[in-house]
Amino acid sequence: MASQYTISNNIRKLRFFAGEMTQQQLAEKAGASRQTIIAIEAGKYSPSLELAFRIADAFGVGINEVFSREVTAD
Amino acid sequence: MSYKVKSTIMSLVIGILLMAAYGIYAAGKVNSGAASMDDLKFWASSMLLFIGIGVAATIVMHIILSILLSIGKAIRQTVETGKTDDKAIERSLQLDMVEDEMDKLISLKSMRVGYAIGGLGFIAALISLVMGSPSGVMLNIMFGSFFAGSLIESLAQLVYYRRGIKNS
Repeated sequence: MASQYTISNNIRKLRFFAGEMTQQQLAEKAGASRQTIIAIEAGKYSPSLELAFRIADAFGVGINEVFSREVTAD
Repeated sequence: MSYKVKSTIMSLVIGILLMAAYGIYAAGKVNSGAASMDDLKFWASSMLLFIGIGVAATIVMHIILSILLSIGKAIRQTVETGKTDDKAIERSLQLDMVEDEMDKLISLKSMRVGYAIGGLGFIAALISLVMGSPSGVMLNIMFGSFFAGSLIESLAQLVYYRRGIKNS
């Protein structure tokens, strides 16, 4: 059986270090809606790889600095 | 609350009102003897009428919602900055209406729920025909199930927006 992953993110922290970037500003930079950014930040939605890269690009960091995964079961 | 959620809630309200109105209208016609369950022409024209009302109501609802949102944004902007910038309001509205990958995923998943209800209703309608019910009953079961499917689709959308959705 494949491992189960729990995806977590550092978006809140990265927004803080990006001069308190608002969720709306991040949404505009990443080309998503504010609702989607809120859902991703709260861990309620796992974005596609493309959106994940766009979010990372909005902060100017690598994708692994924005998202991390934890193996929850085997 | 986002534009999508507001729009879904309004669609849900319109759907419930239309379903209730159709139920009252159909029951009134049958009880007064103005229409029989075998009068397929009457049922088809009634259903077409209510579908038309539904489409018109949805268009009007979207226009009213956009106007109300624009007014709300203009008031907020005036309070915050002391002036109103039409272009900024328009841009903000467009951003609210952006449909991204999460919206599309929610739309697809909730549509699947709606289709399942519509499909079950279709089977129930066929069963009613096999059991010897008048063809008007079959038509009404189908119409009701598609209506119910659309309402449940809207409800599913609200649940997905509230609880979140996974890409699996």
